[in-house]
Amino acid sequence: MKKGTNAYRPRINWKKEARLLPGYLIVVLWVVFTAVMLFWILGASLSTSREIFSGHVLKFESGLHWENYATAWQVQNVSVFFGNSLLYSVISCAGVLAISAPAAYVLSRWKFRGGAALRIGLVVAMSVPIIMVIMPIYSLAVQWGIKGRLLLILLYIMMRVPYTTIYLLDFFSTLSRSYEEAAYLDGCSGPKTFLKIMLPLVQPAVVTVTIFNFMSVWNEFFMALIFTSSESMTPVGVGLLNIINSMKYTGNYGGMFAAVIIVFLPTFLLYIFMSEKIIAGVTGGGVKG
Amino acid sequence: MRKNKAMIFWFCLPAVLSLLIMFVYPVCRTVLMSFFRVESLTAGLGDWSFFGLGNYSKIFSSQSFRTAMSNMVVIWLVGGLITLALALLMSVVLTSGIRGKKFFRAAIYMPNIISAVALATMWIQYIFQYDYGLLNAIVTTLGMEKVKWLGSDMKFWTMTASFIFGSVGYYMLIYISGIEGIPQDLYEAATLDGASKVQQFFRLTLPLLKGVIKTSITFWSINATTFFLWSKMFSPIDTEESTIVPVIYLYDMVFGGKGVVNRDAGAGAAVGVVLTLLIIAVYVITNRLFKKTDLEY
Amino acid sequence: MKKILSLILASVMVLALLAGCGGGNNNKNSGGQDAGGNNSQNDAGAQNPDNQDGGSGKQYDGVELTMWSMWNSDEPQGQVIQEAIAAFEEQTGAKISVEWKGRSINEILSASLESGEKFDIFEDDYQRIANIYKDYTYDLTDMAAAVNYDSFSYPCFNNTVIGWAGFLNSIAEQPQVGGIFYDKDAFATAGVTAEPKTWSEFLDVCQKLKDAGIAPIAQDSAYADFAFYHQLVRHLGEDAITDLDANGGWADSEGAVAAAQEIIDLVNAGYFADGAPDEYPSSQNKIGFGQAAMIVCANYVTAEVNNATGTQVNWGLFNYPAVEGGAEPTAAYAGTNSLAVTKYSANPQAAFDFIMFLTTGEFDQKMADTAAQIPADTRNTAPSTLNGTIETLLSADSTMTWCNGFNARDDLKTSVKSTIVELYEGKFATGEDFCKALDALY
Repeated sequence: MKKGTNAYRPRINWKKEARLLPGYLIVVLWVVFTAVMLFWILGASLSTSREIFSGHVLKFESGLHWENYATAWQVQNVSVFFGNSLLYSVISCAGVLAISAPAAYVLSRWKFRGGAALRIGLVVAMSVPIIMVIMPIYSLAVQWGIKGRLLLILLYIMMRVPYTTIYLLDFFSTLSRSYEEAAYLDGCSGPKTFLKIMLPLVQPAVVTVTIFNFMSVWNEFFMALIFTSSESMTPVGVGLLNIINSMKYTGNYGGMFAAVIIVFLPTFLLYIFMSEKIIAGVTGGGVKG
Repeated sequence: MRKNKAMIFWFCLPAVLSLLIMFVYPVCRTVLMSFFRVESLTAGLGDWSFFGLGNYSKIFSSQSFRTAMSNMVVIWLVGGLITLALALLMSVVLTSGIRGKKFFRAAIYMPNIISAVALATMWIQYIFQYDYGLLNAIVTTLGMEKVKWLGSDMKFWTMTASFIFGSVGYYMLIYISGIEGIPQDLYEAATLDGASKVQQFFRLTLPLLKGVIKTSITFWSINATTFFLWSKMFSPIDTEESTIVPVIYLYDMVFGGKGVVNRDAGAGAAVGVVLTLLIIAVYVITNRLFKKTDLEY
Repeated sequence: MKKILSLILASVMVLALLAGCGGGNNNKNSGGQDAGGNNSQNDAGAQNPDNQDGGSGKQYDGVELTMWSMWNSDEPQGQVIQEAIAAFEEQTGAKISVEWKGRSINEILSASLESGEKFDIFEDDYQRIANIYKDYTYDLTDMAAAVNYDSFSYPCFNNTVIGWAGFLNSIAEQPQVGGIFYDKDAFATAGVTAEPKTWSEFLDVCQKLKDAGIAPIAQDSAYADFAFYHQLVRHLGEDAITDLDANGGWADSEGAVAAAQEIIDLVNAGYFADGAPDEYPSSQNKIGFGQAAMIVCANYVTAEVNNATGTQVNWGLFNYPAVEGGAEPTAAYAGTNSLAVTKYSANPQAAFDFIMFLTTGEFDQKMADTAAQIPADTRNTAPSTLNGTIETLLSADSTMTWCNGFNARDDLKTSVKSTIVELYEGKFATGEDFCKALDALY
């Protein structure tokens, strides 16, 4: 995106680079290790179990076994898992925003009774371990007969509310009040001002926090494990575990690695294009000390 | 600006409700449940019978739970030290002006965005694999005997190592943003005063990062206490002593792991409460330690 | 590749399971008689209880059943189940959807049954169904009586289930026998001609295999407790193990010390495969790769290894060798994966009929042949590789459970198993040390 920046860089200062050598060494080693791991997995996903066990991965003596991908895809319905994860992530991201943005806005703008308590409550909720809430939620869900997809989506939404609200709150506080005053003078109602003027102003923050929420719902495991009872509602994380187990029992190690790659690839591609945004989502807002 | 009470009410209501349903009610009920004898999760309040501290004494007298706790504490302490130190190191390296900073940053953070199931599988089925794994390939090239990385004495450490690998990136990002928040002129002044890079790190960077480090310790504590998936991945068939952690113990007991005959939701709740108390304790202690000696800049 | 496994398993099932199985005596004979007249594989219809209602099919139009399976869809068992479902749907008009839960089904069943998840039929080990899930299972006694189930099933399983649960709450689907499974070709290579009957003979076999360059015993840590349980049972018998497990005192038990010492000797002699005790299924697959010869397991290991390694191992089976002065020289593991109907199922009869459809006649035979299993329907014939197993099971008297003795203390199970794995890892110098380590848990 910002190709221009390199052009303005000073020439390579060898003395400086030499001083940084140990630093380079550390990060390069780390990254090379990651790369080796990924390449081997990729190679293994195209090999047979026999080749893997005899240490002949990446030689492809018997050709590339693309059929591993077909088996991994078919043995359990991977497309269903992806569909579910997508469904859960998209709906919960939208749901979280619908709840968090208005709350963050009013919390940042006005002092009112219970406001401070709500704020503290949200911050504390961010540190509540999930196992503290899972048991009563489980019995509530059984009691009320809420199950499956709806239940998971509701839980994901409510789980992400504290972080999202606090994150957006910080951004709303940085906005000048003059926008609202102008809008008020123009006869714009409070909610309308929020929707039409204030929300667009924090759009970058909304995008960042949504990406972050998306990732965490996409990769969520514990609740999905406990609250999904059927394959038709299983998201990718738990689904992958099923596939891996199934491949292990049938001894199809190539297929197992293929499954890992299948699950890894979409997130990875997304990451290549959006890493800046994702990283901003981690370091922004609520995380600051 | 005028205060619109109706709007405040309606804008806050959903957030308040979700806070109540998802956090306040469950936490209260779990705390309450930990003092009662409750066999099944779905048992109504009527089936609860008061048990005092019985659940607590039950879990603390259980060998499995004690092992689980000590495993967790080691993960928290040793794993935490290594993770945070590595993260700090990486963040210092990346902010030292090396080339390709963005690439390295993204690459090191990458394990955090992929499904932990996939990541753990890579470690278990490749890096630590006995027959064809990477580590044993290196070990044999060096002319040594193959090591059973997943044997009962190594498993805990290999699990912790792979967990650390997956976590470093996250804390690194937090530290980078902390370091980048420190004004450059402080460093320039220090350099003029003749302070070496190492001195600068200990005298300048570290003290100014106090707040960020405090946050990262809290986050790490939450992660360590809720450690579950990695343990599950490293002992896929039965719960094993080498990898058991409190959440696995709780999961087996409450949701009836393989062959657990007597489920006990009350004891499970007690486990949850103990973990939460630990997190609170860590939070209070770090707050004490890092008390308002914060330097302002 | 065709899944039909051309295993040639030991025809001699020296399981030494003697006559008579408690209360099941009167049924035993009728089962035998039936087997004579009803051997054809194509008379599934005749066994189908539907016919008793006089309906010629489609009697379950609109009925929907859900089944949770412990298999995966690409395993041989899963494929037979799918075929059976298709045929049953065709015949009765019922709709059956199946969820492939895999082996981890046993981690989710308790909670799922309790919360009333919508499923009608589930598969698991009969020991767990009878002991852990019994409150959520349908009483099948009457339905079983209506089809004269006793006449073509194994009394030893039915009686055990009734003994544990109080009523018949599961139908055997894949009976299993256990012992030491081995690669006959490896034995031949090593010049072993007879299957060992005693511990010293067994050690000889191990040495010969080792000399021939084949690792004698494969062992995955997942089965370490099962393997050691055999050794303990030979010395002490099951009741004594339950007693030790409940109260401790392992170091004072000569049998326990001796059993552990024997395992330590095996380890020290280098009789275990490289890497053992390994992560399941790495070690058992070594038999398929020709790197190891024997494994202590139940008969499904043969199909698993063949399937996983893409080889056809020439399997044999012998009973776990007797130890000198042991309390229980012969008992062999017998158990079964069974099917149960949930208590809250809306269509228990249809569910039961499907279970019968799957576990008798044509599809039971198919299951036995494709997955190298013992048939659940005693009128069927076992695959040639498992010759004699039906008769052995029918007359089963002294059988061994799957480590039931280690179940006495829920809270210690994990620790006990870990200690046993360490035993196989060679962590203990003497059997005494091992027993002391166990006692330290109490």
